[in-house]
Amino acid sequence: MADQNFSQNDKPEANYWRSFEELYEDQKTLEAKKHEFTEGVTDDFSVDKNLSGLSRRKFIALLSASAALAGAGCSDYRDKGEVIPYNVKPEEVNPGKPDYYASTCNGCLQNCGILVKTREGRPIKIDGNPDHPINKGKVCAKGEASILNLYDPSRLQFPLVKSGGIFEKTSWENVDSKIKNSLDSAAGSEIAIITHRVNSPTTKKLLEEFKIKYPSAKIYSYDIFHNEIKNSAWKKCYGGDVFPLIKWDEANIILSLEGDFLGVEGNVVEQMRLFANRKDVNNVKSFNRLYVAEGNMSLTGMNADYRFRVRPDQQLSFVLSLLNELTSKKNITSTAIDANTKNLISGFSLKDFASKNGVDYKKLSLLVNDLAANRGSAMVYGGRALDEQTQIAVNLLNEVLGNTKLYNADQTDVAHSVYNSMDECKALVASMNAGKVKTVIHFDANPVYHFSKDIQYEKALSKVSTVITLTEFENETAFASTYVLPINHTLESWGDYNVRTGVYSLQQPVISPIYKTRQKEAVILNWISDNPKNYSEKLYLDYLKTNWQQNIFPKVSSPFTFEKFWVGALHDGVITTKEKAVIDLSFSSVSLSGIKPSKDSSNFTVLITESYRLSDGRFSNNGWLQELPHPVSKVTWDNYAAISEKSAKALSIKNNDLVEIKFDKKKITLPVILQPGVAENFIAVESGYGRKHSGIIAEESGVNVQPLYNTTANTNTPWVLTNVSVSKVASSHKVISTQDHQNFDDTLTKDAHIKRDIIQEGTVLQFLKNPGFLHEGKEQHVPNMYDDFAYNDVKWGMSIDLNRCIGCGNCVAACNVENNIPVVGKEQVEKGREMMWLRIDRYYSGTPEEPKVAVQPMLCQHCDQAPCENVCPVAATQHSPDGLNQMVYNRCVGTRYCSNNCPYKVRRFNFLNFRDYVAGGHYLEDSVSLMHNPEVTVRSRGVMEKCSFCIQRIMEARSEAIGKNQPLKGSDVQTACQVSCGTEAIKFGNINDKNEEFYQYRNHKLGYYVLEELNVKPNVTYLAKLRNTHSEEV
Amino acid sequence: MNIDYSQELPVIERSITLADIDRLIAKPLDEKPDKKFFIALSITLTLLLIGAVSVTYLFLNGTGVWGLNQPVGWAFDITNFVFWVGIGHAGTLISAVLYLLRQKWRTGIARFAEAMTIFAVMCAGIFPVIHTGRPWLAGYLMPYPNQHGLWVNFTSPLVWDVFAVSTYFTVSLVFWYVGLIPDFGILRDKTASKLKKTIYSIFSLGWRNSHRNWQHYEKAYMLLAGFATPLVLSVHTIVSFDFAVSIIPGWHTTIFPPYFVAGAIFSGFAMVVTVLIFVRKVFDLQEIITVNHLEKMNKIILVTGSMVGYAYGMEFFIAWYSGNPFEQFVFINRAFGPYAWAYWIMVSCNVIIPQLFWFKKIRRTIPAMLVIVILVNVGMWFERFVITVSSLHRDFLPSSWGYFVPSIFDLGTLIGSFGLFFTLVLIFTKTLPVVAMSEIKAVAEGAQPSHNGGKH
Amino acid sequence: MNANKLFGLTALFNTPDELVHAAAKVNELGYKNYDVHTPYPLHGMDAVMKLKPSKLGYITLSFGLSGAAFALLFMYWAMSIDYPMIIGGKPYFALPAFVPITFEVTVLFATLATVIGMLAFYFKFPSNSHPLHDTPYMKAVSSDKYGICIEADDVLFDFEKVNLLFKELHAQTISEVYFPAVERTNIFEPKFLTLLVLIALLTSGATYVTLNKLIYLTPFDWMMNQNRVNAQSKSLFYTDGFGMRKPVEGTVARNYIPYEYKGLAAPVVPLSNPLTPTNEVMNLGKKRYLTFCSPCHGNLGDGDSRLRGQFPNPPSLHSEKVRGWLDGNIYHVIVNGQNVMPSYASQLSRDERWAVIHYIRALQKAKNASPSEIIEAKKEISSNVAP
Repeated sequence: MADQNFSQNDKPEANYWRSFEELYEDQKTLEAKKHEFTEGVTDDFSVDKNLSGLSRRKFIALLSASAALAGAGCSDYRDKGEVIPYNVKPEEVNPGKPDYYASTCNGCLQNCGILVKTREGRPIKIDGNPDHPINKGKVCAKGEASILNLYDPSRLQFPLVKSGGIFEKTSWENVDSKIKNSLDSAAGSEIAIITHRVNSPTTKKLLEEFKIKYPSAKIYSYDIFHNEIKNSAWKKCYGGDVFPLIKWDEANIILSLEGDFLGVEGNVVEQMRLFANRKDVNNVKSFNRLYVAEGNMSLTGMNADYRFRVRPDQQLSFVLSLLNELTSKKNITSTAIDANTKNLISGFSLKDFASKNGVDYKKLSLLVNDLAANRGSAMVYGGRALDEQTQIAVNLLNEVLGNTKLYNADQTDVAHSVYNSMDECKALVASMNAGKVKTVIHFDANPVYHFSKDIQYEKALSKVSTVITLTEFENETAFASTYVLPINHTLESWGDYNVRTGVYSLQQPVISPIYKTRQKEAVILNWISDNPKNYSEKLYLDYLKTNWQQNIFPKVSSPFTFEKFWVGALHDGVITTKEKAVIDLSFSSVSLSGIKPSKDSSNFTVLITESYRLSDGRFSNNGWLQELPHPVSKVTWDNYAAISEKSAKALSIKNNDLVEIKFDKKKITLPVILQPGVAENFIAVESGYGRKHSGIIAEESGVNVQPLYNTTANTNTPWVLTNVSVSKVASSHKVISTQDHQNFDDTLTKDAHIKRDIIQEGTVLQFLKNPGFLHEGKEQHVPNMYDDFAYNDVKWGMSIDLNRCIGCGNCVAACNVENNIPVVGKEQVEKGREMMWLRIDRYYSGTPEEPKVAVQPMLCQHCDQAPCENVCPVAATQHSPDGLNQMVYNRCVGTRYCSNNCPYKVRRFNFLNFRDYVAGGHYLEDSVSLMHNPEVTVRSRGVMEKCSFCIQRIMEARSEAIGKNQPLKGSDVQTACQVSCGTEAIKFGNINDKNEEFYQYRNHKLGYYVLEELNVKPNVTYLAKLRNTHSEEV
Repeated sequence: MNIDYSQELPVIERSITLADIDRLIAKPLDEKPDKKFFIALSITLTLLLIGAVSVTYLFLNGTGVWGLNQPVGWAFDITNFVFWVGIGHAGTLISAVLYLLRQKWRTGIARFAEAMTIFAVMCAGIFPVIHTGRPWLAGYLMPYPNQHGLWVNFTSPLVWDVFAVSTYFTVSLVFWYVGLIPDFGILRDKTASKLKKTIYSIFSLGWRNSHRNWQHYEKAYMLLAGFATPLVLSVHTIVSFDFAVSIIPGWHTTIFPPYFVAGAIFSGFAMVVTVLIFVRKVFDLQEIITVNHLEKMNKIILVTGSMVGYAYGMEFFIAWYSGNPFEQFVFINRAFGPYAWAYWIMVSCNVIIPQLFWFKKIRRTIPAMLVIVILVNVGMWFERFVITVSSLHRDFLPSSWGYFVPSIFDLGTLIGSFGLFFTLVLIFTKTLPVVAMSEIKAVAEGAQPSHNGGKH
Repeated sequence: MNANKLFGLTALFNTPDELVHAAAKVNELGYKNYDVHTPYPLHGMDAVMKLKPSKLGYITLSFGLSGAAFALLFMYWAMSIDYPMIIGGKPYFALPAFVPITFEVTVLFATLATVIGMLAFYFKFPSNSHPLHDTPYMKAVSSDKYGICIEADDVLFDFEKVNLLFKELHAQTISEVYFPAVERTNIFEPKFLTLLVLIALLTSGATYVTLNKLIYLTPFDWMMNQNRVNAQSKSLFYTDGFGMRKPVEGTVARNYIPYEYKGLAAPVVPLSNPLTPTNEVMNLGKKRYLTFCSPCHGNLGDGDSRLRGQFPNPPSLHSEKVRGWLDGNIYHVIVNGQNVMPSYASQLSRDERWAVIHYIRALQKAKNASPSEIIEAKKEISSNVAP
């Protein structure tokens, strides 16, 4: 009709189409329009026609019958809970779809950039921020698991004030005014602020302003693990403030002396990445070689190609002997070695050292050759625990070998507050005892737990009138204070961090405080503000912004307005400026005098190391981290004295026996683990355990080793204790591990992992000679009873590169968070019921003295011919068309047959409702439910579960692909473990897609399946580890 | 004493009239239970109560109350299941196989053995249900039409179990009942009490001792026996498939079906002897259940025991011969690993001790055989325990090795199953004729027509 | 005795031999409806009575075979037709795995058929009201006597003759058996009815509790309430009950850089439309426009609100002003709102906003097209519309 109109009279304005169909004159539409109010909808319904034969009686009968029926059917109908939408939906939130926020982790001093995944405004997962120049999209296990701290029910939820020995709940207003008064009145007498190292420019500014407002304020900063000895040694040698960064990826040879640079020292995430860059199976020639000389069996030592057992107190003579060997035998000369150094080191012979400390001289000479051959491209790394002289010797050695090339010249860690030495802390305690200190503010620090016994800090606190502790969780210090102020979790706080020159990382909250907490900076800021009454959540944000506008914005010559820049910075989470570090690499020869070749004392030496999981104890209430096995010993929920088998025999002790460690009048008692690879007359203990007050989870986990800290001479290190007396205690404490401690002399089980081809290895030389060596002389194809099932579309697979994998366990932590894995608690782990879907198997071969370690992440292999599927009576586990071995939780009746029949034992069974069992239902609290991934079932008891290849992520990717109507690509999906893997050892993708990067790993010459001869056809490929030794055979 | 084996020993010792047989066998049914009975019952009920408590606790908390773990997903639960199914087999064997073999002596013990079969299978049936993590969904194991439109996985040995055990139970029950019908008839006509009469009448279905019925009856009995025989073999074969079909070394063994069946008969006979020794004493049925019966069974125990011993040896041989390292490891580990203690209990009880039955004296002396058969039962329980646990606790990956320690609830459930079994046995002795009256009569002296056609 | 109808005449003997002899005689005399009753099966009696061998075996055979067939076919149907699943890489029809069940079902069918067949088909059981029951005769034969009974309905039956015959056979006792008097019991006894009612109540009550209470308790509830917060669901943790939280003010989510000119009257530098007006974009724009904009702006954008004046009508989108605007200005209005118009930021995603703008442009163009343009348009369409 539009047409007719037009032809009749040309009135364009009356003439426009109402829809494209109409424009295109689609007949249907025109029809439809004609009948817009079509007649007779009511016509063909006539009472007598349609209701004839249905008498009133019948009708009523029917009516009542149906009513009755409905009544019966719907009686007591259960609604599936209310639907509660947003009143006004925020633009960025789409229910059911995740959001991502760039922020910064505050778990340790490295402050890695993180990307927080939120669902409907609740953070549910922490990953690394890919845009962050240092950690490049990766975080460590602590970072992954720290999300649990946010929702931990045992967080402090409101301010507390102590009156008459007991704490009372109170309001912030009340506390603020009280404290403000006491601060004002404190004029003259000292106000001590005790904090950990502050990496935040803005917080530093804030503290400065506090000092301006209260001149008598003094700031003490400490950390129980730090780099200060290395730094001071560096200062003595090169004059710089901080030890420079190392270009690990450029080192062909790495010699690490008691240095755990893959485990806990420095920015581990970055270091493991750089280290693994030289473990690229597609460029085997470039493999680096790692020598480790250490007393403790560390994660780094576990990954060494050659390992020497050298006690920390022997390291100095070791380094000097090396120097001697290199200068004399390899006649390497350097200006750095002056006359008296020369004749000093001449007293140190490597041979003697070797014989005296039971080190294989042949292996040592291999090291010497390598160092000599790779001058300028080798790196000798002295662990932070070594004393200053050793550090200086190490610097000298690197100088002599010209390895200084490997120091990063234009970027370095930022030297923030200079650490307060123990002397200053002692001074503080003195003045506290003298009553010169009126107020002590613990700025998220826990000195009562951290400080060594002999400082007697707690006693001194009692002399202070006002003790304020800002903390997330109850802790030892809080119990000794008058005010306990609950502070925000990282994910609730604003902040900025500057750890490296020119790298400024921003922290933004991803959820508003879930309890009555304030962020610690805001609390201080509020006190120095004119009127504490008008506190607002944005208080510190404004402060932060102004500081950035004034001090940081100018550093970046940004073309935008500050607002725009700020928004962008928040979006990226990190900005980089043009700042350059000035590093002077001119060696000022230092005097190494009065050093005698140390006699190897029969007395014990003890090394205190940072816990891989709990760091300095701040994560002790985190069940996931408590349960995450120790990367080497696989011990959970406890720390222990790691001792060598020989020394143990000498003391006639065995696993789980208690020993007393005594060091100048300080002593602790803790259980023993016979750790292969530990030096003789040496014990390594981890700190961070044995918290008295830290919430219900950490109760009775481990022993506090802080009392042992060496606070005596400054030249010596706080972590290395010499001349320690160790004695057996007639009692024992069961230390639980997820993998039994291997027995070396049991011929039946010895090297089972090698005999069974579970771990397949080679050497670099072997591979270069014959890349196909792994599969030679092996039956390539096991015959099949049935034809294989055809998976033509996407088929998921994984490859794990054992050359890159260092066994840190970050992937396990990530998996736990992603898949709502419950914490089961110590006694359940003891029974062997840990629930982790992904575990890292650790195998020893060789001797207990010189063990060869192999690690292997083990997860569901998603076998094509899965044994578990055949035996499930209810078909609760079967294969999906894209090759996944699926687990249908709600069909599972829990016969456990599948688990019995799984050759990899990767299935996990909910023997109990574990959440209900741990610490009296601690993890059943409502706050924890906010954390659980809504895309993953929270399994009930009696149900089998296992790795699903993160099927929720696969489904998300698939739905997106469908939305875009593109085919789903393998690279669209990244599993949680893959994302978290700091060394990129885990690859995931589509087995059928030949043009994917994954394909070359899946079909790599080094690729093998575990238990290949069972012919279950796994979809997880392992790339055999190549040890970079000098020989061809393993 | 030396016996002339050329002719069969009389089944009933001194010759008693048919009426006496009725009276003798029906005695426990007519009399009020005495003190002895109540003491026995109170003991068994206590055991049953213990079981009930542990199972309740299990249901309230989950499978975790047992000692199970990764990798040992099965331990006491399946051990008990296999043990009880095994016990059951003797009954069917005696009633069916010996019937087909025309072994007259079976008549004295058949009824009792069948009853034990049924009770044992009841005990066994409990475990597959309670061992699941979500017992309230155990119905999922049955192929019934449901709203998921989903059936069970017919390739799973556990489903085979469901069919095998339920079939076995049904058939045994029917077989038993068919045998009981004539006896119900007898009791109906004997009893004075009206109530009993009604009950017996209902169960006798109106049996009239008509020969036109006897004819079909015997045929049917023959057919049932004919089916029960392969069935009994198939059931334990299928039970053994639970293990044999898996890929776990120590389970994945082709010798299992015969091995399990032999073991089942072995343990079953041991249990029958154990119980009969008491029953014949308590209800003075010495004439009907004679020492000869017991001796014959002891002979079978000796044979099957040796077969089991052979199987043990053969497993080791094949493990060595196959050259499969996993297989070899498992068996060495069995004998010398953490579970060696269990293994050696098993070997001594099952292989060594029964050898004493080579001596006629021991075969025929009650106390000696009592000790031996009880030990055999212990040994057979441990055999199943060893097979289940010692294979699981150290399988392919050393990283996932573990050790199973039973909890008190494991023990409670085991005890409970014995409680249930003996309670049922006791009730049975008081409610039903423990010996098939009509059958006994048929084999009594002069019971069959002399073949001169009755001319005199 | 009672004057009931005679069932038959019975004789008791002491020894099996006598009975065999008697049976032979009776059979020889040509009696058909007689039966012998013995405490246990007498061997050789079949021959004497000339009974044909039992046919029970055929029932067994046929049911056994049908059981096997049923089992196998059902498993085949279930596993490979009704609900095929990839299990352990096996083919859907994995015959070896189906053998055990087939065997079991065979045995089950066969045995049950045999027994039920015998009892119901051959014996016509249960029959507790048979005249022989509760007779001294029956008591005797079920214990230790051997009896024979000739029934009255036998054609040759004659009371005297039979009596005599038995005497000749030296029967120990001879007795007549009569049909018992038939007595009726009333089903509508109050006792019985109450029993029924009780059972009904019990079952229905149990069912109700199970279906409406029990299966909603954890852990019986099929994990219906899990310890997690789904989208748009209630949170027990927050007192306000909102499981969905608002992002903190001032934070920036990835790919959600807030609109620069939020809150300003006009954009400083209007953004330009990033989308090209493809068919998809146009359709998307149309959908969204009709959903969110048309209520006020009207289907065609000339401000004819569909709200019948319940809400002030907005100005037409065809005004010079709007047509003069850059896309960025319209975008600005959509995000910020204008006068009474609220912000549509949370309803429309960014792409959707730009798509809507494209659609609006199309409307404007359409309304203000010059004839020549329309002719052009038509040409185009007629050329590319399929006949």
